[in-house]
Amino acid sequence: MATVNATSSSAGRLLGSLRLPIGIVAFLGISLTVLGIDQFVNALTLGAIYALVALGYTMVYGIIELINFAHGDVFMVGSFVAMFISSSLLGNEGAITNIPLLAGSVLVLFALTIGVMAIVGALIERLAYRPLRRAPRLAPLITAIGVSFILQNVIQFFFGPTIVTVPQLVPIEWSIEVSGSRVPLLNIFVIAASVALMFALQLFISRTRTGRAMRTTSMDRDASSLMGVDINRTIMITFLIGSGLAGAAGVVHGLYYGNTSFNLGFQSGLKAFTAAVLGGIGNTAGAALGGFLIAFIEVGASAFGYGRWGGAVVFSLLVIFLVFRPTGLLGSHSGDRA
Amino acid sequence: MKVFNKKGLSALAAVAILAAACGGSSASTAGKTLTIGISFPLNGSALASAGPARDGALLAIKEASIEGYTLKAKVLDHAKEGAHNPDQAAADMLTFVGDESVVAVVGPFNSASAKAQIPVSSEAGLLQCSPSNTNPALTKGEDGAALRGGRAVNYVRVATTDDLQGPAVAVYAKKNGAKKIYILDSTDAYGKGVADAFEAQFIADGGTVVGRTGLPTGTTDFSAVATAAKAADADSIFYGGVTSDGAPLFRNALAQAGLGALPFYGADGIYDGTGEGSYVAIAGANAENSYASQAAIENIPGKDAFNTKFKAEYGKDAEGYAYAGYACAQILVEGIKAAVTGGDVTRETVRAAVVDKGSAFETVLGAVSFDEVGDTTQRIISLYKVDGGAWKFVEEINYGN
Amino acid sequence: MSRIVDAVNAPFAPVRAYFRKHRSFGIFVGVVLLSVALPLLTRVPPFDGIQSTNAWVNAFTTAAIYAMLAMGLNVVIGFAGLLDLGYAAFFALGGYTYALAASPFSGIHLPFWPMLLAGGIVGAIFGVLLGAPTLRLRGDYLAIVTLGFGEIVPITLMNADKFTDGVNGIGGIDKPSIPGILQFTLINPWPMYGLVVVLFTLIMIMIYRLEDSRLGRTWDAIREDELAAESSGVNTVIAKLQAFAVGASIAGIVGVVNAAKITIVTPDQFRFAVSISALAAVVLGGMGNTIGVATGAFIIYLFQSILLKQLNTLVENFNIPILNQVDFLEFQYVLYGIVLVLMMLKRPQGIFPARRRMREFAPLKIGKGGLK
Repeated sequence: MATVNATSSSAGRLLGSLRLPIGIVAFLGISLTVLGIDQFVNALTLGAIYALVALGYTMVYGIIELINFAHGDVFMVGSFVAMFISSSLLGNEGAITNIPLLAGSVLVLFALTIGVMAIVGALIERLAYRPLRRAPRLAPLITAIGVSFILQNVIQFFFGPTIVTVPQLVPIEWSIEVSGSRVPLLNIFVIAASVALMFALQLFISRTRTGRAMRTTSMDRDASSLMGVDINRTIMITFLIGSGLAGAAGVVHGLYYGNTSFNLGFQSGLKAFTAAVLGGIGNTAGAALGGFLIAFIEVGASAFGYGRWGGAVVFSLLVIFLVFRPTGLLGSHSGDRA
Repeated sequence: MKVFNKKGLSALAAVAILAAACGGSSASTAGKTLTIGISFPLNGSALASAGPARDGALLAIKEASIEGYTLKAKVLDHAKEGAHNPDQAAADMLTFVGDESVVAVVGPFNSASAKAQIPVSSEAGLLQCSPSNTNPALTKGEDGAALRGGRAVNYVRVATTDDLQGPAVAVYAKKNGAKKIYILDSTDAYGKGVADAFEAQFIADGGTVVGRTGLPTGTTDFSAVATAAKAADADSIFYGGVTSDGAPLFRNALAQAGLGALPFYGADGIYDGTGEGSYVAIAGANAENSYASQAAIENIPGKDAFNTKFKAEYGKDAEGYAYAGYACAQILVEGIKAAVTGGDVTRETVRAAVVDKGSAFETVLGAVSFDEVGDTTQRIISLYKVDGGAWKFVEEINYGN
Repeated sequence: MSRIVDAVNAPFAPVRAYFRKHRSFGIFVGVVLLSVALPLLTRVPPFDGIQSTNAWVNAFTTAAIYAMLAMGLNVVIGFAGLLDLGYAAFFALGGYTYALAASPFSGIHLPFWPMLLAGGIVGAIFGVLLGAPTLRLRGDYLAIVTLGFGEIVPITLMNADKFTDGVNGIGGIDKPSIPGILQFTLINPWPMYGLVVVLFTLIMIMIYRLEDSRLGRTWDAIREDELAAESSGVNTVIAKLQAFAVGASIAGIVGVVNAAKITIVTPDQFRFAVSISALAAVVLGGMGNTIGVATGAFIIYLFQSILLKQLNTLVENFNIPILNQVDFLEFQYVLYGIVLVLMMLKRPQGIFPARRRMREFAPLKIGKGGLK
């Protein structure tokens, strides 16, 4: 909504800048009333995961205009890395009821998975995308598809083609009462962790030197290069962060659902990508918002017995949205890009 | 990399020619070779369920010996991008048709692939036996006749159709005290079909369906439907679909929503043993109080012997469709033997020996014979319950002939 | 490398010059020669052992269907520069059009030949319906709209089961026939092969004529610089719509042929993966080069469906002890992925780059959004 122009009055500007928060609050209020508290929490939790994955899509698109089809599979690999670290390295089998131990395990799990996935993401960028920086634009799209095939099949080779269980460290019995409904702490934890990561990302992009370099690079790569921005380094950092977030999403997915499978990436990737577009591709806050929006639609569809149409509704909305508001919810002008 | 750059195409071509050359040397030993084709989707997520069926069929072919002939197996994989592909299934069937040594085929695994394959194999008069197809429309009524194009039956299957399995589970659920059921299906041919059959019978018996929806394969979030089931005040759950569609994920989501104690009904899609990736393994403790069916007799005399053989051959336990795959190959081998005895081994004599004579075959699934459209006459549905982390047989319903 | 190519090409210069002048005839001759040569080749030792000639001919037919699909997509992507990620949707619409017009499910049995045209018309109608509101969008947004459309169509076909028999798909679709002369069958692949060869030739000639027409040049102009084209008085929306409609109608026609060949359509046949493999064929073949794209698609299909599936046999015959334990069928998609990545890294312009594009892009650097 940064398109509000400078000539409007200060009251108008205030109203303009409040339009989005008001809209979000109104949307949440309506959803809560329609869905009820249980489904509302389900939607928020699912939305948090979609949002984390969507961030990676939108960041990469913002900076090199590549629809990174492999990103959904990076998320999938992240969930397997989290599973491996949690069960094999840390030796977890199920819920941990000792709170300090739980906090420690979860922290270690997040740190290691994000680290590993950041490296994986940067490696993919270095090997499959960087050599094509100057190539026709569709070339990296095809290598992305190739990388997606490779990731899926490598994981399938090591972990098999079946659904694999992941230790759910946070006990699912822990819950709090909210107006007569039981809200599991697990859901609250997932939402809180995701939102915290999103805020950290926003701070990073808006406050740090590297964040500024990412923003300028997405606006004009050549000009930023002339201004002394190391383009290759900046793009690599974008991939590091995007893939790290996908890794975090993988951890969260495992903790919440207790399972993963090698073909997790395709569907979630498609949804997350749609979220990124709905929010205004290239816009990090928009991607998060888009993720939540899709989750609310899907949960709403399932809640009212239209689960089999959920996908069609999401994609129809996407088409309608793009026709009437092609820049997405929050717009995708380069100032917001990262 | 450099080499590939300069000679990329020629390298590719060289590989192609090499591959071709080697392929050639193996197939040139025709003559007295008889081949049983095996046609399954064998990569990606399809491998988990179809792999055991292939292993079972290969084992039966390896064990068999036919005097005066060399019996071989030829496996073709029709999965693309990890899922079965009817187009490739039809193309593979044509490959079998074109290979004169192929006298019968085991497969396919999925009903949609069967719909693409049956017209081809029917035109060629090539016998095929599916271990797992349960869609009634493949053989019965006008649909079945249209697929065969009015020709003689050349397609048989050892699995009983969904129109029996769904109702059997419904009858049992009703008996078990289910009154208000919530139904979820996987939106595919199998899942939706079995759920439809279940729903019809359950309503006919006076039960109430308090909610129904479908979530496609690949869904990971079942929390919303679990909450919906809770809101609808269901006392039992039915899931139409297979383990890899998300049955155990749904069960876990139900437990997370506080419905872990409700009875959970499914069909043979979730009756897949306790091995890695099975329903029981993924749902863990939540799997207790789950019920499933299987379109086969529980107490097969030779089951333990088969398990031992299978384990010795592959180093893993027999599971899922391994028995049915083995049984199909056994039937085809018996058919070939009958044709050999008759003095003339052609596709037609093999087909006639299995289909037209109405004879019964001793298989790992017990005695199997086929009706006039090629469906098994062994119409027995066995019901199971998860108890103490394993499937326990509870009862069988015999639909007779 | 190029010197060798030139040397080899030299004697053919007059022939090339002749066919450059009479290109439609050249395409006709080329396709006819190739369509005779390919089946003959399958009788020669390396190839005859893999599968029978009939199975090869069937594979060639399917490969040619993919090649036609890629040529159609190339009109949209390579000529007009519009990235379409939901091309399979039009393929599906063509297939379902024929399935509903000639199957036991609908109870209607219309003849095949007019339905070819109907498939094209249905494709074009949906192309225009989708394109009209969306074509004013910038390149990537169009890509996303088409991706969405590509997802909506199979989901709708799956859930509208009263009209499409849902997930079961429509089976037993009528096979084409020339009354009194020829009835197509499933085990004799030759009539279908002939049909596809004819259609392939017609589509290729049509596309080449389009490329050289005023419309083709308009597409060039739009692809290179939409703003400049618009300022020169080109109605870019109409021209883009025409590209979309042409692409969609080719997919519709090919969909009819495909449905008649397999005799079953199911929603799962038209998933995102199909759009993606058509796109991969276009990019690998060399965007904008019709022959290149067709050849690329043809080779990719055969590589994926024949060669990768023969890997086990290949390794068994080499008798390498460790590798014998490995089931290569499980690795085929890793290999496919690696091939896609390596091909692009080493030849980002495709195997057979369009001549014009080769000149455009080889020495120059491409800025952001240089190639849409």
